[in-house]
Amino acid sequence: MDERLSIKFVSFLVRAVALYALSLVLLIASVKAQTSEPSMVAIAFPATSEEALARASLRAIFGMLLQKWPGDTPVKVFVLRDDAPDHATFSKTVLQVFPHQLRMAWDRQVFSGQGQYPEQVASAQEMLVRVASTPGAIGYVKASEVNQNVRVLKVR
Amino acid sequence: MYVFSRFARPALRIALLVASFFSTLTADAFDLAGGDLKVHGFVSQGLVHTTDNNFLGESDGQVSHDFREIGVNASWRLVPDIQLSAELLSHRAGGTDDGSVRLDYGLVDWTALSSEHGRAGLRLGRLKTAYGLYNKTRDVAFTRPSIILPQSIYFERTRNLTVSADGVELYAERYGETGSLTASFALGEPKTQTEAAKVALFLSSPPGELEARLAPDLQLLYEGAGNRYRLAFTALQLDLSYRPGTVDRLRAGRFKLTPLIFSGQYNAERWSLTGEYAIRRTSVSGFGPYFPDSHAVGQSYYLQASYRFAPQWEVLLRYDAFYADMHDRDGKAFAAATRQPAFSRFARDWTTGIRFDVTPEFMLRAEYHRVNGTGFLAAQDNPDVHTLRRRWDMVMFLASFRF
Repeated sequence: MDERLSIKFVSFLVRAVALYALSLVLLIASVKAQTSEPSMVAIAFPATSEEALARASLRAIFGMLLQKWPGDTPVKVFVLRDDAPDHATFSKTVLQVFPHQLRMAWDRQVFSGQGQYPEQVASAQEMLVRVASTPGAIGYVKASEVNQNVRVLKVR
Repeated sequence: MYVFSRFARPALRIALLVASFFSTLTADAFDLAGGDLKVHGFVSQGLVHTTDNNFLGESDGQVSHDFREIGVNASWRLVPDIQLSAELLSHRAGGTDDGSVRLDYGLVDWTALSSEHGRAGLRLGRLKTAYGLYNKTRDVAFTRPSIILPQSIYFERTRNLTVSADGVELYAERYGETGSLTASFALGEPKTQTEAAKVALFLSSPPGELEARLAPDLQLLYEGAGNRYRLAFTALQLDLSYRPGTVDRLRAGRFKLTPLIFSGQYNAERWSLTGEYAIRRTSVSGFGPYFPDSHAVGQSYYLQASYRFAPQWEVLLRYDAFYADMHDRDGKAFAAATRQPAFSRFARDWTTGIRFDVTPEFMLRAEYHRVNGTGFLAAQDNPDVHTLRRRWDMVMFLASFRF
């Protein structure tokens, strides 16, 4: 009887340790995965009056709700395709909205007559060119891709 | 009210013109006039098979393809504060809708106040009715969680009363650090001048006409932590009066329907949990002996889980319950009084489904329903209540394309 109990206990212990080790590995892997994501920044047309925006306002702009900059200039939003890794990273880390939810929010507005989709561009290069040349433009690129033709927007 | 109806007609003409112009082209979304005029649309075709009873056409023991949704919309942002939008919709749904083309919405949206912390404005014209989480885009398959919305709350049967209304809507949005709050209040005339609306209320088609008073519609929506939480409350009141025809058994009676809906949704990256609870106060009065007065409180709710197990795939599980009268949930009192089946007063629907997004523009879906009760079935598809069966199964398929 005692022997059976101790075998049970040992096997429980082994399982618990294995589970602990597995979760540790997963945790480290996920932390690594997070830190290895490139850091994304919001960029704007160079003459934009704003240098920083509250995250809530940035969400409202990329959510296609807020149509104007504080200085009354029309906002023009540029995004990459939904399945572009940079789009997902920007949505999740900067806006803190899952890209799937952003798409659902756009769809709800477009198909009830309340809003429009953002302009989709094919690449980071096109993003930089369009944002640099469109008054009121806002978009995003990797921090390492920023050039002097666009302004980086800080998140307050 | 005439003002809005008058507005709707020219808006319909403009929308028709725009649609006919673009229908000559076939391509991706159209983007003209400096990027401010945009045209989008969708086409969905469903197949329905039931073991008993008819849903969305003659589906009993056969396959009904009388479920089709085609829509084209145009939106034009004149200046940042003003957007004009219109959508033409053909909605074919068994005996309840023949698919004739209608103006689904046609409105001008004016943002009167705007700052980085929020905005407020008004919409004028034919507006989609705010009703729970899904009603504003109820006919767009891509925005639905399943092939058909949970019928306990989003009836196909009575869709005309809540699909859109001619009137005005005031809205205010506040963007806060923790989440955003949206409040909207609309006053509009719902669509009651259709056979479907009459049959839905009377279960027959009397010769008179239904007239709606301006219906107030209030919705409060809180979206927290980047839409992880979405909480909503909707209150709507429909007040319809009946003008009897020249030879009519019915007198000038009145319907009053007051649904209240509480909605909640939690969205993780790969899965979502959604629930809505509705309580509907219904009163019928003054129609005389052939349509006796009644007062009932209906109750509806569903709980739904969806899981995106791969980028293009999603599975769904839902339990959906409808009770026409929460004080007579099994319908026994109704059956005793009317000699109609007790099970026509409720419906409990277990649904499981799968969605495959072949491309972002093309989607395929399959769904299985196991239903106890016939509470949400339409009289047009099931003219003889005595042939209804209490327990029935349904298999559905849907293909949807959008641009």
